[in-house]
Amino acid sequence: MDLPLVLNTSMLLTLTILLTPIIFPLLSNSLKNTPDIITNTVKTSFLISLIPMTIFMHSGTESLTSFWEWKFITNFKIPISLKMDMYSLTFFPIALFVSWSILQFATWYMASDPYITKFFTYLLFFLVAMLILIIANNLFILFIGWEGVGIMSFLLISWWHGRAEANTAALQAVLYNRIGDIGLILCMAWLASTMNTWEIQQIVTPQQTPTLPLLGLILAATGKSAQFGLHPWLPAAMEGPTPVSALLHSSTMVVAGIFLLIRTHPLFNNNQTALTLCLCLGALSTLFAATCALTQNDIKKIIAFSTSSQLGLMMVTIGLNLPQLAFLHISTHAFFKAMLFLCSGSIIHNLNGEQDIRKMGGLQKMLPTTTSCLTIGNLALMGTPFLAGFYSKDQIIECLNTSYLNTWALLLTLLATSFTAVYTIRMTVLVQTGFVRIPPLTPMNENNPAVTSPITRLALGSIMAGFIITSFMIPMKTPPTTMPTYIKAMAMLVTVLGIIMALEISKMTQTMILTKQGRFSNFSTSLGYFNPLVHRISTTNLLSGGQNIASHLIDLSWYKKLGPEGLASLQLAATKTSTTLHSGLIKAYLGCFALSILIALMSTY
Amino acid sequence: MAAYLTHQQKVLRLYKKSLRHLESWCIHRDKYRYFACLLRDRFDKNKDVKDMVKATELLKAGEQEFWANQHPQPYIFADSPGGIAYERYEMYKIPEWCLDFWHPSEKAMYPDYFAKREQWKKLQRESWEREIKQLQEETPADGPRTEALPPARKEGHLPPMWWQHVTRPREQPM
Repeated sequence: MDLPLVLNTSMLLTLTILLTPIIFPLLSNSLKNTPDIITNTVKTSFLISLIPMTIFMHSGTESLTSFWEWKFITNFKIPISLKMDMYSLTFFPIALFVSWSILQFATWYMASDPYITKFFTYLLFFLVAMLILIIANNLFILFIGWEGVGIMSFLLISWWHGRAEANTAALQAVLYNRIGDIGLILCMAWLASTMNTWEIQQIVTPQQTPTLPLLGLILAATGKSAQFGLHPWLPAAMEGPTPVSALLHSSTMVVAGIFLLIRTHPLFNNNQTALTLCLCLGALSTLFAATCALTQNDIKKIIAFSTSSQLGLMMVTIGLNLPQLAFLHISTHAFFKAMLFLCSGSIIHNLNGEQDIRKMGGLQKMLPTTTSCLTIGNLALMGTPFLAGFYSKDQIIECLNTSYLNTWALLLTLLATSFTAVYTIRMTVLVQTGFVRIPPLTPMNENNPAVTSPITRLALGSIMAGFIITSFMIPMKTPPTTMPTYIKAMAMLVTVLGIIMALEISKMTQTMILTKQGRFSNFSTSLGYFNPLVHRISTTNLLSGGQNIASHLIDLSWYKKLGPEGLASLQLAATKTSTTLHSGLIKAYLGCFALSILIALMSTY
Repeated sequence: MAAYLTHQQKVLRLYKKSLRHLESWCIHRDKYRYFACLLRDRFDKNKDVKDMVKATELLKAGEQEFWANQHPQPYIFADSPGGIAYERYEMYKIPEWCLDFWHPSEKAMYPDYFAKREQWKKLQRESWEREIKQLQEETPADGPRTEALPPARKEGHLPPMWWQHVTRPREQPM
C-alpha cells in the first residue's frame, strides 16, 4: 500500500469535497445549496481527513506536493506546493471537526435569517481559505489564504450590515489586518531578494537572520492574532453572529498569525532579539487582555478577551522557541473556545438576544447540557489537570519557569493565568448559579439536537483532545525533566489562587455595600484607554499631515522657498547689502581703488 | 410640542437613569432593591420643596452626583439605541415601493396579490388629499403638541398616514 500516495490523495480529496457546494450550483440549475448540504459536506470532509491523520499517526508519513510552477520571471519561479506534515495533517481534522459542529449549530442559530444559504457559503469560503493557509508550503499560497480569511472575516463580521457598529467593526478588522500584512509583504520581499524563493524549505540561514524580516513576520502575527498594539479589532469583531465568532475569532483565523510564525520558525532559531520580542509582546498581550476581561459584562466580549489572552500565551511559547508546543495549544484551544462560544450562543438565543451576564443567572436548572459543557470548557480553559487545556498550558508554564529568560515576562504570564481563572469563575457564577435575573416568561429549551450534539461533541473533544494529540506527537525539543515541586505546581497554584479570589469577590458583591470605582477597575473597564487614544491620535496626525503635505507643502516649497518668491528674497538680501556699500562718498571709492591696487601689487610678489 | 422640559420631567428622568445605573452596579436583585429604596427615599425627602431656585440647585447637584457615579458599561436593552441588537435587521427592511419595480414576469407569479395591491394603491391615492386636509386643520399654529396622529373624524374617511403604518416593515425578518 503506497502510503504517501494515499496520504496525498485523501488530503486533496478533503479540499475538493469542500469545493463541491461552491462549484455544483454553477454547473446545473437543479443542484441547489442548502445549509444541511453544506453541513454534511463538511462532515464528509472531516471523516475523509481522518485517513491521512491516521496514516501519519501510524507511520509518520509526511509529504510535500508541488504541481504547476508559475514561471514568473526567469530566475524566480513560484510553485504551488503543499506541505502535509504534522502541523497540517493534525490541524485539518481539528478545523473540520470544529467547523462541522459550528455549522450544525448555525442551522439552528441562523434559522430565522432570510439569507442563511449565503451565510453558510461565506463560512465555507472562509474554511477553504483557512485550509489553503494551513497546507501551504509557499509563502505565496499562504498569502492567498491569509488575504482570503481576512476578506471573509470582513464579510462575516458585517453580516448584519444595517447596524453601524457592525460596519465599523468590520472596517477595524480589515485595517488592523492590513497593517499586519505590511510586515508579511516586507518579509516576502526580503526573502525574494536574498533567497530568491518563497518556499519554506529553501529558506536557509547559516548565520544569524537579520532582524528586519523577522520584525515583519512578528508584525504580521500581531495584526492577525491580535497581540497588544493591533488588538482592538478582536473584541469589536463580536458584532458578528455567534457562529462567526466561534469559527473565525476563536479557533481558526486568529491562529493564522501564530501558525505563520510556527511555519517560519527556522528563521527565528538563531535570532535571540526576535525571540525576546515575541516573548515580551506575548506576555504583555496576555496580561492586557486578561485585565480587560475582568470587568466586561457582555458574555461574548469576555470570551473574546479570553481568546486574545490565549493568543498572547501562544506568542510567549513562540518566544520560548517551542513551535510544537504552540501548535499543541492552538489545537486544544480550538476545541474548548469554540465550545464556549457555542454554549454562549445557545444561552443568548434562548434569552431572546440577551448578552449581558447581569441579566442571566440560575441557568443551570434550565439549560443543563449547555451549562455543563460551559463548565467543562471553562475548566479546560483554566488548565484543569488532564482536560485538554492542561497538556498545553501547563507545559508552557513549566518551560517558561525553567528557562533562563525574562523574569518580567514570566511574572506577567503567571498573573495572566490567575486572571484567567478569575474572569472564568466570575462568568460561571454570574451566568449559571445564583438566583434568576432574566425577564420572567422566557421559554427556553435544549430539545433541539442541532444545539446539543455539537456542544457535547466539542465537550468530548475538549476532554480527550489534549491526551490524544500529546500521545502521538513526537517532541522536537526535550521538555524540562526536573524542577522543584513548587515550580511544577506553580500554574495550578496560581489558578487556584485566582479561583479563591474570584469566589471571595463574588461573595462580596452580594453584601450590601455599593461598589466604588477605582483607578484599576476604570482602567480595566475602558479597555486600557487604548481605543479612543490610538484611534483618534493616529488618524488625526496621519490625515492632517497628509493634508498639510498635499495642500501647503508643495505651494510652500515651490513658490516661497525655491521658486519666484525665493529667488526674489535672495535678490533682495543681496541688493540690500550692496546698496549700503554704494554710499556716494568719494572716500569709499578711493579706499576701494587703493585696496584693489594693494592686492594686485601683493599678488605679484 | 414645546422645546423645553419641565422641572418635573427633568427630575423624573434623573430618577430613572440613576435607577438604571444602580441596577448596572448592583447585580443581585435583593441588593438592588435595598439601594433603590434608599435612593427613592432621598428623592422623596425633597419632594415638597416649593422654592424653584432651591429645587433647581438640588437637581443640579443630583445630576453632578449621577455623572460621578455612573456605570462605565451601563446595562442597555438589546433593542434600544446603543444595544447589541439595535438596527440589526435594518438591512431586511425594504420599503414597499420596491414591489412596483418587479419585472412583469415576476409579478405574474403572484397575480392576486398584485391585483389587490393595485386596489390598495388606488385607495391610498384617493384618500391622501383628505388625510392632509385633516392634519392641516387639526395641527395648532406653532407646531404639533405630540407625536400621536389623530384618528379619522368623519364617516368614510381613513386615519391620516395610515399607508405608512400599514406598509411598515416587520420588526424581525421571517
